[in-house]
Amino acid sequence: MFKSGLGGKLTLKLDDAELGVLSQLFEQMAELLEHPESEAGADPLAKMLNMSGSTQISEDPALARLFPDGYSDDEHASADFRRFTEQDLRAQKLAALATVRVSLSDWTGKSSITAQQAQDWLKGLNDLRLVLGTRLEITDEVETDFGADEPGIHLYNYLTYLQGTLIDALT
Amino acid sequence: MSAMPIEDVAIDVMTDRPWITLVWNDPINLMTYVTYVFQTYFGYDKPKAELLMLDVHEKGRAVVSSGTREEMERDVAAMHSYGLWATLQKDD
Repeated sequence: MFKSGLGGKLTLKLDDAELGVLSQLFEQMAELLEHPESEAGADPLAKMLNMSGSTQISEDPALARLFPDGYSDDEHASADFRRFTEQDLRAQKLAALATVRVSLSDWTGKSSITAQQAQDWLKGLNDLRLVLGTRLEITDEVETDFGADEPGIHLYNYLTYLQGTLIDALT
Repeated sequence: MSAMPIEDVAIDVMTDRPWITLVWNDPINLMTYVTYVFQTYFGYDKPKAELLMLDVHEKGRAVVSSGTREEMERDVAAMHSYGLWATLQKDD
């Protein structure tokens, strides 16, 4: 769990089981983000000009949730928005993930977290909950049984708890 | 100098800030997280951030900022970086 400490510093304490689970989940998350569907056959010039972003929302519901449309009522504007922002957004998400993964791979039992690292953890944990929640089909239409004895629900509840301790420590 | 009639002021505000950023409700983002994002990114105080979060939660969506199209595209991209579901549109 995250705790606020002296001088605005945060600490994170994880046991071996938590460390193992989080390392695995964040690794899968990085794989999901590192292999976007639009990479194949990207025009090198467009890529150099940072214009090779895709224009279509992903068919994978989890990726569609991480990279939603920018306009709800204008397909053309959404395509332009995506072309110019998605690569940057992906890079930001991967950078946050990288910070989290480094702190997990260098783990020594208890870790001191800087303010910047805390923001990366916050976004990384939230993205993870969005992906897992989408995979578990947590929607407004269907009531989810968060007490169900299922591995996916246990994981989701754990991530909710961990993110909650981080928000508490930050506020 | 005479005071501007109220209608003119309203029109002025509308032509100056014709675009809005909407944040939509979703069942995954925590209420405390959404409040935190509104405070951190927009610099809103806690009561305002909480009111907006409750609007999103109860009404399904809320207008969280307004301005030029470019500003709203920046706000929407920032909301997406936090994992909030946001869109922009013309305020009409």
